Amino acid sequence: MSNPIKKIMVYIDGTEQSVTAAQYAICLASSSGAELIAHYVINTRAAEDLLKARIFLKDEQVEYEHDMEADAERYLNYVNELAMKKGLSIIKKRSKGNVHKEIVDAVNEDEIDLLVIGELSRIRSRRDELYDETERAMRTVPCSVLVVKDEERVWEMYESLT
Amino acid sequence: MALIDLVVEKIVKIPLESKDKPDVLRELVQILKDAGEIDDFDAVLKAVQDREDKQSTGLQDSIAVPHCKTTVVSSLKLAIGIAPQGIDFDSIDGKPSKLFFLLLASPDLSGPHVEALAEIAKLAGSKAFCKALVNADNAREVVELMKGE
Repeated sequence: MSNPIKKIMVYIDGTEQSVTAAQYAICLASSSGAELIAHYVINTRAAEDLLKARIFLKDEQVEYEHDMEADAERYLNYVNELAMKKGLSIIKKRSKGNVHKEIVDAVNEDEIDLLVIGELSRIRSRRDELYDETERAMRTVPCSVLVVKDEERVWEMYESLT
Repeated sequence: MALIDLVVEKIVKIPLESKDKPDVLRELVQILKDAGEIDDFDAVLKAVQDREDKQSTGLQDSIAVPHCKTTVVSSLKLAIGIAPQGIDFDSIDGKPSKLFFLLLASPDLSGPHVEALAEIAKLAGSKAFCKALVNADNAREVVELMKGE
């Protein structure tokens, strides 16, 4: 049977959990030969909502969007460096908008076989307002999803990758 | 880190003792100091006050969401203060604020910061939920309400 996983996408959002997910995805892509795409979504939708709710000033919205652009560049470059250290090349992907929708769209457009995400909150709120965007993406993408846990173990796995 | 992960009893104070806006900001920052979440009280307070000076974060329906970016924290920090009696916070509807969410973040965590603020904004949209928070008896009840327990 040929490798069923040809394209992996890892979602990066600037959290430590997403960096751990990237390390795991690098290990997975390296061992499977799958193509790896690192995707960062600049959450302009939330910034717009905060402006409408008057939590943000217009200047603040613009400033945060610039900051998020810079974060996207920095974190994608960092993941790229992690991959290059292990002799792997990745595709960096950046988009803007509503996070879970952008992830779903990217999974469909790029025909992703596996979405890799960082560990979700261990606290399960019953309040709908407290579902985070990554959790929403996990529930709505059409492909299989791998939730990466155990930062130390993943780090050891990444470090031992030759 | 999801907003819900930040909600623990030690970052919740009910009732707040302050009577005016400057004191509320100090009291909210003090919650984080007492909880061991920040070291530099003065730097955080100045950053929060500087943002408030641009425009009050007192919203409608008795909610206020003071927030700022600051290099003196390395992760998201949340404090929740509840003043059932209401405190003048220069809110946009002119009414006293009762429910305060203070959110701080490092400048390199703009994405998680924006998402956490958006979650607070969604919570603030539920009048019944906000009323339940204001009527809570203690910090534990606030935490239970937030987690939907």
